[in-house]
Amino acid sequence: MEIPYIVNPRKDTGLINSKIAIWLFLASEVMLFGGFFSAYVYLRMGADYPWPERTLPVLPGLINTFILIGSSVTVVFAWVALKLGNWRQFQVYMAITVACAAIFMVLKGIEYNVKFHHQAARLNDYTVVEGHLGYEKDSEGEYSLDRHGKKIEENMIRVVAEKLTFSVKRFHAPWVNEMLSEAKRNGSEIKLAADIKAITEEGGKEEPLAKAGDPLSLELLEKIKQTQIEALEHNAALRTDALRLEWKEAKEANPGKRGWQLASDVNIDMEALKPRLLSEVSSVEFTVDPPTLLLFKPRDIKESPTSSRLRDDTVIDGAMGASPMVFHNLDAIDFQWLVMKAKEKGISPEAAIADSWLMKKSEFVREAWAWHLARNEKRQAELTKDYGFKEDGKTPKRTLTHKELYRLGWKDLGEMGVEKQQVKISGFDKIKEEFKGPNYEARGEKTFPHISIPREEIRHAAKFTPAWNTYYAIYFTITGLHGLHVIGGALVLLYYLVFGRKMFLSNPEWFANRVEVGGLFWHFVDLVWIFAFPIFYLM
Amino acid sequence: MSAHAASHDGHDHSHDDHHHDPGFIKKYIFSTDHKWIGLQYGITAMLFLAFGFYLMMVMRWSIAYPHEPLPEWMSWIFTDNWKARWLQDGKVTGETYNMFGAMHGTIMVFLGIVPLGFGAFGNYVTPLQIGAVDMAFPKLNMVSYWVYLVGGLIMCASFFMESGAAKSGWTNYSPLAGFADGQIVNQWLAGQTQWLIGLVCLITSSLLGSVNFITTIINLRARGMTWMRLPFFVWAMLVTGFLLLLAFPPLEAAGIMQLMDRVGHSSFFMPSGLFTKSEGLADLSGGGSPLLFQHLFWFLGHPEVYVLLLPAIACVAEIIPVNTRKPLWGYKSMVYSLLILGFLSFIVWAHHMYMTGMGAAVSTFFQTTTVLISIPSVIIITAMLISLWGGSIRFTPPMLWACAFIPMFGIGGLTGLPLAFNLVGLHLHDTYYVIGHFHYVVAPGILFGLFAGVYHWYPKITGRYMSVFLSHVHFWPSLICMNIIFFPMLTQGMAGFHRRWYNGGDAYLDKATAATADGANVFANTVAQNIDLNIVMSYGAWILAIAQIPFIINLFFSWKTGRKVESDNPWNATTLEWATPTPPGHGNFTFDVAIYRGPYEYSRPDCDKDYYPQWEAPKDRQQASADESADKGHH
Repeated sequence: MEIPYIVNPRKDTGLINSKIAIWLFLASEVMLFGGFFSAYVYLRMGADYPWPERTLPVLPGLINTFILIGSSVTVVFAWVALKLGNWRQFQVYMAITVACAAIFMVLKGIEYNVKFHHQAARLNDYTVVEGHLGYEKDSEGEYSLDRHGKKIEENMIRVVAEKLTFSVKRFHAPWVNEMLSEAKRNGSEIKLAADIKAITEEGGKEEPLAKAGDPLSLELLEKIKQTQIEALEHNAALRTDALRLEWKEAKEANPGKRGWQLASDVNIDMEALKPRLLSEVSSVEFTVDPPTLLLFKPRDIKESPTSSRLRDDTVIDGAMGASPMVFHNLDAIDFQWLVMKAKEKGISPEAAIADSWLMKKSEFVREAWAWHLARNEKRQAELTKDYGFKEDGKTPKRTLTHKELYRLGWKDLGEMGVEKQQVKISGFDKIKEEFKGPNYEARGEKTFPHISIPREEIRHAAKFTPAWNTYYAIYFTITGLHGLHVIGGALVLLYYLVFGRKMFLSNPEWFANRVEVGGLFWHFVDLVWIFAFPIFYLM
Repeated sequence: MSAHAASHDGHDHSHDDHHHDPGFIKKYIFSTDHKWIGLQYGITAMLFLAFGFYLMMVMRWSIAYPHEPLPEWMSWIFTDNWKARWLQDGKVTGETYNMFGAMHGTIMVFLGIVPLGFGAFGNYVTPLQIGAVDMAFPKLNMVSYWVYLVGGLIMCASFFMESGAAKSGWTNYSPLAGFADGQIVNQWLAGQTQWLIGLVCLITSSLLGSVNFITTIINLRARGMTWMRLPFFVWAMLVTGFLLLLAFPPLEAAGIMQLMDRVGHSSFFMPSGLFTKSEGLADLSGGGSPLLFQHLFWFLGHPEVYVLLLPAIACVAEIIPVNTRKPLWGYKSMVYSLLILGFLSFIVWAHHMYMTGMGAAVSTFFQTTTVLISIPSVIIITAMLISLWGGSIRFTPPMLWACAFIPMFGIGGLTGLPLAFNLVGLHLHDTYYVIGHFHYVVAPGILFGLFAGVYHWYPKITGRYMSVFLSHVHFWPSLICMNIIFFPMLTQGMAGFHRRWYNGGDAYLDKATAATADGANVFANTVAQNIDLNIVMSYGAWILAIAQIPFIINLFFSWKTGRKVESDNPWNATTLEWATPTPPGHGNFTFDVAIYRGPYEYSRPDCDKDYYPQWEAPKDRQQASADESADKGHH
């Protein structure tokens, strides 16, 4: 059995199978990316926050654009070389194509990496601050490490735990281990608060499962969990049978009546059932002696001043310590959103900014803002000089944008540092900054200061990841999916390059067909980027 | 399967090719033969259908007897642990009901009917009907089955996880679906997340499948199989393929975005300032749009309806000419209607969203397109109805189901008309009327069509007929029960019964006044007047389950004990699948296939038989010119 039209096209359609298939596949891909691009439009049109415009570094994006376009050309050259029967030339062009893909992914990787480490926080008054977080240090000034040996960012919720109550059903084992090792390091013990007694057999007596003072361990929790599961299963079966019996009796006693007419009178006789039930231990309480400091990631805990709750329903009683978010180095101050909100309420932007928490608390911010306002005046004057006034002779034809007016980005802060503090920076460092963002080491604390923000002032905080806002969400989704396509396409092309020789010798036409199909996909990958680049980097 | 493989001996009847005996695993498990893959799809899909049916039976218990524990015959399947976790004193809880409801819909649509209609029938029949040796990409075909199976198992595995399976309806609307299972520490292990991962697998599977189908139909048609000589079945598969190809990707996009919302804490579909009972003020950036999800979902969702429907219509359209011994009436109009239907199905999606407040202009647009789309579907169904006229009808088992399909689907279609209108839609939105409407389309409609297909092609697949007696025992109770279940839903829906009431409206019943039927609360009274229908419908559902037993017996026992077919073409049909050996071997055809005429040449006066197969060369010049003029439409 042989599938026809693999190598030579069918006469009436003029096509080989794989070419039809790849065009269909690309049509489907168009719909997929179409879905995402429509989502972009939809989210941007409906955004209720200042959409981050031109926020990504253009230079690496532009380089990537040219790299991809170049590789689209070389993949065609590789195909032509095959058609001419020149294997050597094919190898060269295909190798260039794959290398382009690799460079593209490296640049993309650098860009992603910078985002993953860049922290942003939205304060209660909608001021946005950006920068990098510092790391937790212990009393001797050494960096504290978590159990994976990684430094801990200064963005943790601190609770001085006195009492821990675990949900027997849902406790999360890694967290229990973490608390145990933390307590051990701090020299305190976690002990069972009271005896746990349970009936574990039908009709049996209460027997001790664990004694007060037993140390917390996963085995203990697992043991109680197992008992509870057995009890739940046993009791559920008993109650079900009892209820069935009640219904049977009720129906026999009231023929012709509907279930909803009887429902309120049909109840399980719990008194009669009680002697047969097993005990359900749903939570266990431990005391921490002496109370010890535990650190939690903000997403894992619902904190409150006296009693906090983890996502696995563990309740931690104890005072919440100061848990500030510490920027070790702040690199952007953004009042765009605050101004937007102020305008909605009819408050003047200047008043709102002056009234913001950041302006009140930080000397640096006040100075920086004063510098920014002075510079804005100069910029506006230049604009007016260049473009003149409107017909009324008063309003300038061009004004500064919302972003220019109310955002101090890292480039602005850098400019201020150079101008006010005479910070020196080399040309190489400047180019590096185009790729990797603000260079704290070269510019120092005078440009990018430290600032500590109390937890209660923060409304939402995240790295520059999909969690920060819908712009980054759609940016990562589209470029991430595109990146996967680049990797997938490059792997296929690489496969042709490395393993194609044999097929080239035995059936060069078929092999050329395959490369053509791969090349078509590669063009599509390029095309997606041609759309993605302007909407994320330029608009 | 590669081009290097030795070509098949043209006259070799045996189906194990001694040039490359594939071995058990390659032949039956990782098979690349479109017929075996079709059977794999069919068996898997039927198992999923049975499971989805079971979930529904539990739900129907909860609706009819919300205060009573599940009876033993329904709950024995659960482990004690599962019962302790998900049942309250043996009763179905609202949460469990939601889980079953969401999974019932998902399983029936994505794991049951699409794979049965498109995957099973499409795979088995399409290459045979166009005279191809196999699909264009046999390995891809195999992969798409396995990706489907993995996706389905991932979804169903979530029943056994801490979170349970997905609970936010088969439509999986955000922000509800974004928050569901939020308490689970590892979000990758939450049922709601598993649902999305499973869905991405299923979409990948159907993407591979549709590329394969369309390529096969375009490029692998036998000599002489021109476009207007294609059986209607193949046309339907072509259009279905395009719907799958182009409508699913936006849902994949939505699925990926929702996955990001769940595991990446993004806010694609989460509006600002979202406050929930369980989480308080959501720790999210906000700024997203729940409406965006609905747009992307229904952009798939409506074409999906036709993905379900077209294979069933296709089966019926094949069965009617065979059993009326006359050509399909208006073949060309049916084909053009099909194409228009396919196109229009892409621009009606927002009629599912009248309640969202998307604006009167948008609603009006979608109301118009929705009314428009009823035209091609009515043309198709009318053509099939007229095809019966003047035919010498043989009421074979497949014909019974095919005949029932027409009125049942008709009810489903006609009850949809009021829903197309914005104003009426607002009243009926999310009521049992909607449930009744689309279940009439899907259950006694589409499923009947697919049953017809099973009975029709079974002799080709196995070489034996299915038992006529058992098929009657299957058919009549099914027909009656389907109507017992779904007709009252229309009444209840108009009375305002909401589709998500896990207790069948009991909570809205003012029990004190309902007893006297003289309450001041009008709605409570309406509920009281209609609530007993729940019990009737539930019994209908359970009897329907019993009525499927003869089918299962028939399906398996006839394989070995059924009456043997007398020839390769037992129904005396005209289309190409009947030209193959029974069952067809690897490579399908044992002769060089050429096609001479259209697909439904029955009772032609110039032919000595009452059917004139597509593959039989014309005997004389007169017949040849008759074939030609038939092609041009001068029939």
